[in-house]
Amino acid sequence: MKYEYNKEPELYTPIMMRVISKRDLTPDVRFFQLVPKEEFKHLDMDYKPGQFMMLSLFGTGEAPFSISSSPTRKGIFEFAIRETGKLTNKIFELKDGDMLGLRGPFGNGFPIERMLGKDIIIVAGGLGAAPLRSLLLYIMDNRELFGRLIYLYGAKNVDDMLYKPDFVEMLDSEQIELFLTVDKGNEGYEDSIEEGKVTHLFKYVNDIDPANTIACVCGPPGMYKFVVTEILKYNLEKDKILLNLERRMKCGCGKCGHCIIDYRYTCIDGPVFTYWDVIHMRELI
Amino acid sequence: MIKIKKSDFSTFITNLQKNYSVFAPVTDGKATAFKKIKSAEDINNKVLNTKRSPKEIFFPQSEVLFQYTEEGIKVPKREEKPFAIWGMRNCDTKSLLLLDKVFGEAHQMPKKDMYKDPYWKEKYDNCLVFNLACNKPLSTCFCNWFDGGPFNNTGSDIFVIENDENYIFEAVSDKGKKFLKEFKTAEQVSDKEIKKIEKLKETAESYLAEKEDISSLFSKTKEIWDETIWDEIAAKCINCGACAFVCPTCHCFDVSDEGKGKKGKRIRLWDSCMFAIFTKEASGHNPRSQSLQRVRQRVMHKYNYFMDNYDEHLCTGCGRCVVVCPVNLDIREVIKKIIRY
Repeated sequence: MKYEYNKEPELYTPIMMRVISKRDLTPDVRFFQLVPKEEFKHLDMDYKPGQFMMLSLFGTGEAPFSISSSPTRKGIFEFAIRETGKLTNKIFELKDGDMLGLRGPFGNGFPIERMLGKDIIIVAGGLGAAPLRSLLLYIMDNRELFGRLIYLYGAKNVDDMLYKPDFVEMLDSEQIELFLTVDKGNEGYEDSIEEGKVTHLFKYVNDIDPANTIACVCGPPGMYKFVVTEILKYNLEKDKILLNLERRMKCGCGKCGHCIIDYRYTCIDGPVFTYWDVIHMRELI
Repeated sequence: MIKIKKSDFSTFITNLQKNYSVFAPVTDGKATAFKKIKSAEDINNKVLNTKRSPKEIFFPQSEVLFQYTEEGIKVPKREEKPFAIWGMRNCDTKSLLLLDKVFGEAHQMPKKDMYKDPYWKEKYDNCLVFNLACNKPLSTCFCNWFDGGPFNNTGSDIFVIENDENYIFEAVSDKGKKFLKEFKTAEQVSDKEIKKIEKLKETAESYLAEKEDISSLFSKTKEIWDETIWDEIAAKCINCGACAFVCPTCHCFDVSDEGKGKKGKRIRLWDSCMFAIFTKEASGHNPRSQSLQRVRQRVMHKYNYFMDNYDEHLCTGCGRCVVVCPVNLDIREVIKKIIRY
């Protein structure tokens, strides 16, 4: 078979990104900032909060990752990546200046148009704070376009809390009603971080106008049931509860079949689903 | 309709090869498959269902997406010569239409063009499909359940009927019409012969098992999702995935890198929803960890989910999975069981 150099990226061919900085968020989650290599800078790579991209290292493989940065801050793509397998182990070895393949953005993302003018409740669990950071920054950068902003974040312990310094600093902000909790052990943060599951923070969420509120949730699979139960107590309609879900994916574009749930594809119709979808699509959570 | 004598078949193929790369059913040891042929002698026109389905011409078991090198990415060079496939049966030509919905069209996407599969598209747009009628369908054939038939020609360019002395050609698509128009050496078919075709068709259809009315299959599958019937259906299944690999409509794939150091290839390989790690996520969470869930997924995707999206079943009744299943899990029995549940 003969080969020729690829001029424009196609569905399965990634563009190259350069790592410009990285730092550890927790013992096993690292934050990466990427910029497109010069020849790809002209491409339109606009995205929405809640969308994901396929990152790859040649010779190791490719996997989907949620975007952590906001489209309001153009040029730099940010990802919070947990070291958990073959590909992420290799990504952790990357140094500044190293290259990484990227395809996307894929997925529906959060329906920003529907959320404009509304009060927003964001509930994050563990690594769920990574995709929700994109939404958080988007709202903070367009603060006048939204109503109240309530953010609840629960992590296993203080070491496992993503963006902890940022969040602790934000606690004093008048722009956001922010509440933090860890399952166990808040030593050193007694003033700012509570102890207990994320559901226990709902006692601070009061005076909710259900007609004018949208809730966005992302966390480990076991968390959704409990969080949704709490949100439903505020009489929110089922399609105003948005869940950002995870599935194994290979193509990102509705072909490879890995992320099929019912008649839909997580990579195209998701990863953001409504609670109404959850009730009508089996095996979703 | 026009015809050529069977004795001229070899010349016909040789002429076809001047403008096309020709694929046809060949026998390789005990297995049969569609391969690129050197001459007409390679062709086995007797085989009805090749063991491996011709989907592999368009969607190979392993396909190079691109080569990666230190200088950049290189994609496979597009084949310039169009190709012709001789001897596909209706169950397989119809499968191309179904696969084109997944690979060719975008799945209800706003940015449609962005989601077209370039590897599928360039092959699908570049081929001429000859659909050979089945004079004597097999005992495992059930194309008639899905509105197919031994003398149907959906999804093909040219329909070919074989009688004792001749191959009779009928154009199906515009591409086929154009081809037959330029085909000067063929003779016209007489009215008497056309009448005989009717007879051949009737005989062929008589070999098929009784047609099952599957009009309730879609609604039934939706209703029984939570029922115990799946325990009965899945009890036998050993999740080997053979059914998916021989299926002309199964299209799931995995993506993997092969190579050493900074040089290698990114390839895609057939995968199957029958395998336990098919849905396993990096976190360890696996939405379909049980065999029952995976069997249900395959049946539901074929007879319910695909219907939801495209108003068609993702099955053409070729019967390959019935033949190949090591534990005799007959999909026809599964369908009957569901309808009668």
